Amino acid sequence: MSTANPSELDFSPAPERAPQARLVRPSLSYWQDAWRRLRLNPRAMISLAIVVGLLVFTLVGPMLWRLDPANQDLEQLSIPPGAARTAHIVEPYTAWRREATPGTGLRLASEATTQSVRLVWDAHPSARAFEVFRDIYPPTHPPTQSTQDALGIPLGEISPQDGLAFEDRLALEPITYYYHVVPVGAGNRLLSDARETIEVEVTRAITLEEATQRGLVSTGKKTQVGDEVELAWHPLGTDYLGRDMLARLMYGARVSLFIGIVAPFLYVLLGVAYGSLAGFVGGATDQTLMRFADFVVALPFLLFMILFKVLFGIGPGESGIIPMLIALVILGWPATARLVRGQILQIREESYVSAARLMGSPTGYLIARHMIPNTLGVILVTLTFAIPSAIFTEAFLSFIGMGVAPPTPSWGSMSNEGIKTMLVSPHELILPAIFISVTVLAFNLLGDGLRDALDARMRSVE
Amino acid sequence: MTRPLLEVEDLAVEFDTHGGTVKAVRGVSFALHEGQTLAVVGESGCGKSVCVQSLVGLVPMPPGRITSGSARLDGEQILGRETVGGMRVRGQLIGMIFQDPMTSLNPTMRIGDQIAEPLHMHQGMRRRDARMRAIELLELSQVGEAEKRSRQYPFEFSGGMLQRVMIACALACEPRILIADEPTTALDVTIQAQILSLMRDLQRERKMSLILITHDLGVVAQMADEVVVMYAGKVVETGSADDIFYASGHPYTQGLKSAMPQNQDRRAQQLEPIAGSPPDLFDPPTGCGYFERCPRAMQVCEAHQPPDFDLGKVQHRCACWLHDARATHDS
Amino acid sequence: MWRYTLKRLIQGLITVWFIATTTFFVMHFVPGDPLSDARATSEQIRENLEARYGLDKPLYQQYYIYLRNIASGDLGISFTQQNREVNDIIREHFPVSAALGVLAVVFAALGGILWGALTALFRNRMPDVVIMFLVVLGVSVPSFVFAALGQLSLVTLNDWLGVSVLPVAGWGSVQHLLVPALVLGLGTMAFLTRLMRSSMLEVTNADYVRTAKAKGLNATQIFIRHQLRNAILPVITVLGPAIATITTGGFVVELVFAIPGLGRFFVQSVQQLDYTVIMGTTVFYGGFLVFMVIAVDLVYGLIDPRVRVE
Ligand SMILES: Nc1ncnc2c1ncn2[C@@H]1O[C@H](COP(=O)(O)OP(=O)(O)O)[C@@H](O)[C@H]1O
Ligand code: SF4
Ligand SMILES: [Mg+2]
Repeated sequence: MSTANPSELDFSPAPERAPQARLVRPSLSYWQDAWRRLRLNPRAMISLAIVVGLLVFTLVGPMLWRLDPANQDLEQLSIPPGAARTAHIVEPYTAWRREATPGTGLRLASEATTQSVRLVWDAHPSARAFEVFRDIYPPTHPPTQSTQDALGIPLGEISPQDGLAFEDRLALEPITYYYHVVPVGAGNRLLSDARETIEVEVTRAITLEEATQRGLVSTGKKTQVGDEVELAWHPLGTDYLGRDMLARLMYGARVSLFIGIVAPFLYVLLGVAYGSLAGFVGGATDQTLMRFADFVVALPFLLFMILFKVLFGIGPGESGIIPMLIALVILGWPATARLVRGQILQIREESYVSAARLMGSPTGYLIARHMIPNTLGVILVTLTFAIPSAIFTEAFLSFIGMGVAPPTPSWGSMSNEGIKTMLVSPHELILPAIFISVTVLAFNLLGDGLRDALDARMRSVE
Repeated sequence: MTRPLLEVEDLAVEFDTHGGTVKAVRGVSFALHEGQTLAVVGESGCGKSVCVQSLVGLVPMPPGRITSGSARLDGEQILGRETVGGMRVRGQLIGMIFQDPMTSLNPTMRIGDQIAEPLHMHQGMRRRDARMRAIELLELSQVGEAEKRSRQYPFEFSGGMLQRVMIACALACEPRILIADEPTTALDVTIQAQILSLMRDLQRERKMSLILITHDLGVVAQMADEVVVMYAGKVVETGSADDIFYASGHPYTQGLKSAMPQNQDRRAQQLEPIAGSPPDLFDPPTGCGYFERCPRAMQVCEAHQPPDFDLGKVQHRCACWLHDARATHDS
Repeated sequence: MWRYTLKRLIQGLITVWFIATTTFFVMHFVPGDPLSDARATSEQIRENLEARYGLDKPLYQQYYIYLRNIASGDLGISFTQQNREVNDIIREHFPVSAALGVLAVVFAALGGILWGALTALFRNRMPDVVIMFLVVLGVSVPSFVFAALGQLSLVTLNDWLGVSVLPVAGWGSVQHLLVPALVLGLGTMAFLTRLMRSSMLEVTNADYVRTAKAKGLNATQIFIRHQLRNAILPVITVLGPAIATITTGGFVVELVFAIPGLGRFFVQSVQQLDYTVIMGTTVFYGGFLVFMVIAVDLVYGLIDPRVRVE
């Protein structure tokens, strides 16, 4: 242990030692200390960054991306993010005169565009008629599979007298389709074994007139049939009405975050006031107040949110944001009230407040100087956890059509509309769902981090 | 002198925590003889519990770690082993009772089942026999209405009664050594005396050895044959109870004594708590651990670890520079 | 235990009364007084309403009639559908929701306990990290997203295999039930997993586990005999609220999977402003949830002896 020569050891009395000034860390205030701990928590910091990012997206976003969320782009309905947006200029539509098309089997009579897809095929000996189907999925099943839904949507039945041809003009999108032509035998039986299939890649077409109307054609340049023009840009695609998803997500964020932040803020505030009152006055008042809070807690939350929505009624043209806010506040406060009351009762026991009380400070001063700072941490954590749950509630209610009313976008009402087209254009559901999930996730992790940071107890490795 | 039943040498235990490594036990040696009571004393946090728990593998690892040392029972190493000579170290060779009886029993299991558990699961006793034996053990620990009590749950018992249950539990497999970690700290004074005398009686009856951890020198006076005084993870003095009480050689032991109420003393009571608190075990001092609080410290003590000095009598040892021939103060 | 049961039942009845009263007055303050006969859709319905609710009488008498009807188990009659009793609607649709809900609760509870115990045992190692990541996702994704994704993956799976492995929507067989119930239980399962994990970790450090170890029990014996039972207790205490979450979550799942349950019916009646059905169903749901919470508490009493003797 000691390398010194024992003969050099000094056996004279030691001087007075400093009486235990052994503070390892510099003393920080409660909040500085909590902030220091929070900063060391990477998950909480990432979440904080996400929350700030969301606020920027909501508040600054619409100024940068100045597209009206209600504006409908009828050329581009339900297009996914990053879809090609070039369109070919074509002649205005003219009826098909069924000119003979060279070749055999199921084939295209002309280039397939969003204007029309023209199919021709050959005769079949036992065909009484032909059934034409269109599918968006490639045919993976063996042809014995005779269920209709495995072939996509039925487009029509063609009798051979009308010619072996079919023209599809039904809501064509610039994607790949699979057309099936199935002969119909005696007794209306589909002869699936003799089915023919063709893969058709549809290109987007627009007439010169339409392109000019929509301002897609620059006036200086001469544009003609066969040229390509660029359609309006929708970075996150459009919904089934052709509305820009990015713009709607931004406005939806306003609604969702407004409800998600303002409602908890109000009801936490109400809860703090109610709980402080109960905690301070005590006695029978406290009992009565808390009993009432117990009853409000016992009301099934979502059912009464719906009931309140019926009570406030949403007239035509109203968004339903304020009714939801009020309902959330009416039903949300008791948890905070209980918590704050508990805290106040606990703090009241502690000596420093009794000391202050002995010195004759008025109650208001007591609250401001001692109670609030000491319960603020708990309240902050409660608020952080209340936000994701309010966002969830908004989304849930709007999703079942009981919340924010269309056309006002909120993430919940967007999901509601998105689910109808989920199978063909999933992005209309997935994008708002991602926003809800990421926001809720960020606030939850931030809440965890805050709770740990404000919890001054020493923790072991977890 | 006969060979000790249990011989612990140079035991060291550390914990990894967020704040760094806590060196909770730093090279502890002591010996326990057959049928005797060894008291381990020291302020709270000086490593008493960690020391004995590491002997039977009750220190959670991780974060805990035994970094050195050996513990021999009848010459056989027991550190880190589950069984020795076909006997389980925990329960069969060494039984243990803890400080807080209220939380040390499973709240959702009947008392009788908790006592019978090891008998049934390990000694191959049939369930019914194990239950009967549990009732006998409760009677032995002076729990009234043992049969009825064995069917009750812990929350229906008082703290003192629960500690009797814990004793019954620990004695179930008739261990050779009983370790009692502050068994009376959480109890009322009157109950304390009952529990201590119960333990002493049982020990004599069964020729068991007892390691009694306490920070109460009164308990030591009442129970101990040998005493180990610990401070900051180290043994600072060992000796017979008489040595420690009447001829203590370490300023810390002397400090503990003057902090103890002495009922037999006629003179005016003057309790002198030791000023200050034990050192930080994250970064233990290089010299004497007691340096900062020692009223008789010397320059040498700050940076040099005092060796063990033999204080003449049989097995009375003390780690303090005052016993060096060169010391300026006389001890 | 009997006293305790009785006390809880009386408390429950008072709570149901409060729910019924709030429902009654909320509906009466709906603008335009929906219960006034002017808006009833047909002569027949109007007569029924008047007879049932005493609409021509003053409010306090209507309230009295309303409570008396509820007390005698009569939840009212439809406002838009002729001669349709709320009791019949519940009898028809609730069993569907109940089957779905029970399965979802079983999924959630078993899954939560299993995954939670697993993460605690593998603390900070691979399975723990992976499961806890999924749990964090699970509590952050709304139930309708699970429902939609569940259906989407069913469609894709059926399409990919070319056979209908499980039905994508509808009702009628156990197969119809599996995916909706799983999807419905998922969020709660994540929540319970988190609870079970922290409860397991707490129990691992409990003094009585140390005692069990000191008695010489091995890790498996300690886990089964001492840790599991005590760790499950907090999970059981939150099962009441969890059942409420799953019940209301069922609204969404029933909508998405076109399951003819009471939840879907309730949402429809709100959309159609069928006021009397809304009132009746709300009271029914309220009473159901209140008594589920009591039932869970009583089950808790069976497992935790401390409650039993009180
Ligand atoms: N599981 C653990 N993790 C971290 N540190 C521990 C742990 N157990 C004990 N310690 C540390 O070991 C030291 C000795 O503790 P202990 O043996 O319980 O003291 P005593 O029993 O003498 O009061 C203490 O400083 C304590 O902080
Ligand atoms: S070694 Fe020095 S500091 Fe330590 S107890 Fe002895 S005299 Fe005091
Ligand atoms: Mg201890």
